[in-house]
Amino acid sequence: MSLKNILENWSHYRRAHEDGGHHEYEHMWGMAIDLNKCTGCNACSVACYAENNLPTVGKDRMRKGQGLHWLRMERYWDEPDLGGDEKEYQERGGSFLPMMCQQCNAATCEPVCPVAATYHTPDGLNAQVYNRCIGSRYCSNNCPYRLRYFNFYSYYEESWPEPLNMQLNPDLSVRDKGVMEKCTFCIQRIRTGKDAAQREGREVKDGDVVTACAQTCPTEAIVFGDLLDKDAQVTKLWKAQEVELGKTKQDKSNGELRGYRVLEGLNTDPCVMYMDRVREA
Amino acid sequence: MFVSNKFLSKRREKGVGQGKVSQSLAMFFLLLASVFVISAAQAEVPNAIPPTVTHSGEDVPQPIEFPHDVHTEENGINCLYCHTYARRSPVAGIPPSSKCMGCHTIIATDKPRIQKLTEYWENNEPILWNKVHDLPDFVHFTHEKHLQRFVFENEGMDVENVSEVCAFCHGDVKKRTVAKKVKPLNMGFCVRCHEANDGPADCWKCHK
Repeated sequence: MSLKNILENWSHYRRAHEDGGHHEYEHMWGMAIDLNKCTGCNACSVACYAENNLPTVGKDRMRKGQGLHWLRMERYWDEPDLGGDEKEYQERGGSFLPMMCQQCNAATCEPVCPVAATYHTPDGLNAQVYNRCIGSRYCSNNCPYRLRYFNFYSYYEESWPEPLNMQLNPDLSVRDKGVMEKCTFCIQRIRTGKDAAQREGREVKDGDVVTACAQTCPTEAIVFGDLLDKDAQVTKLWKAQEVELGKTKQDKSNGELRGYRVLEGLNTDPCVMYMDRVREA
Repeated sequence: MFVSNKFLSKRREKGVGQGKVSQSLAMFFLLLASVFVISAAQAEVPNAIPPTVTHSGEDVPQPIEFPHDVHTEENGINCLYCHTYARRSPVAGIPPSSKCMGCHTIIATDKPRIQKLTEYWENNEPILWNKVHDLPDFVHFTHEKHLQRFVFENEGMDVENVSEVCAFCHGDVKKRTVAKKVKPLNMGFCVRCHEANDGPADCWKCHK
C-alpha cells in the first residue's frame, strides 16, 4: 500500500472491518466478561503473571508506569450517576474491570509500527513478534486502552534467580529489554489446543482452548472462545447482549442489555465484550 | 530442484549413450551427473522439496560415542524406534538407557562403548547426552507436525524411509557416529523450506 493510497483511503481503511476486514479468518478468538460476577480478586492477573513469564518490577517502577501486567484490574471507586461522592455509596466498594489487550480487529497499534512487528493473524489476534520489535513504542502511544507494556529493563536474571527459573513457562519466550509486549490471549494454549484437535482429526471445539485468566477466575466471570463457532458459549453471550463484531455503533436502545465494548466508539472493533455491573440504584 | 535433477539425468543418459558429444559437453553432463548422484544419495520423499543449504557445525562430544551408523546403516533400525516421541510431540526424545539395555544385555557386550553403557546402567546413572540441535528459546518447533506432513499424511511415503525426512534438517546421520549440526537451522533455512513446501507463513506459527 503506497503512502498516497493510505492518505486518500484512510477513512475507508479504518472502517474496513465493517466490510468483514482484510482477512479470511480461521478463528476469531474473543471474550465475554461479566462484571456482575467479577469480585476484583486479581486471580486472573496472578494467573497471567504465572502463565506468561511476566516479571514483577517492584513498587518504584510500577509507580513510574513501567509495570508489565498484561492483565490489570482497573478499579473505579466512584460512580457519579449513583452518587459516587456520597460516603454511603463509596462504602459499597469499588467497581472492577479486568483490562487486557482487546485484540482489536481494526487495531490502532498495527498501522503505526514502523517494522510491522505487530500484525493481525488469521486467528483474529493482534500479534506481537518480539524478534522484530525495535522498541519504537509507537504502538503503545497509539493504543487507546494503554495495554501495551514496554520492557524498560532486563528482568530475566533478577526476577527469576535460581532455582525460580524452573517455574518459567517453556512455551513462551522471556522477553528482554527493549521490546513491547502485551496480552496474547495465551497463544501458546491456542497453539496446543489446535495441535491436539488436529492430532485427533477434528475441528477445534469450544472448551479446547481456555486462557489462564478464564481458567483461574473463581466466579467464572471471564468466558473465552471462538466467535466464529456458533455453539460456543462466548458467541451465545455476545448474541444475547446483541453486541456484534464489525459494527462501530451498537444499538443501545434496549435498557435490559448490559453488553458493551470499551471505547468502541473509537472504531477499534475490540474482541472483548464486558457486561455492565448492575447495582441497586 | 529434485524433479529437475531427475529430468536432467534422463537427458544425460541419452547423451552418453549416443557417444557423439563434444568434450566440453561431456564435462557439463558429468557435472550434472555428480549433482544427480548427490541428490540420489537422499532417496525420494514424495511431495517434498528438501532444503539444500548446508552448514558446518562443531563436533559435540558425547559421554558415549554413540554410533548412529552401526545402528541405522548396518542394522537397519528405524530412527523412530529410539526417537519415539518425534511422531507425537514437539521433541524427538532421547531414548532412556533401558531401551539401550533391551538389546545390549546380549548384543556386543564385549565392546568398550557397551561396557561403559552397562556401567551407567548398573550405577543407576542417567547418561547426560549433550544437545546438538538447539533452537533458540523464542522458536516454537514441533517434530510431530513435520512428520505428519512429510511422512504419515504424505501419500506414497513409506515410514521405513523416515530417515530421508529426518535428513532434511539433521543431515545424513546414518553416515556418522554422534550427530553434528550440518544444516544451519536458522530462520532463512526454515522459511525457504516453508515456501517451497507450502508451509505456514504466519509469524506466530513459529515465533513465541
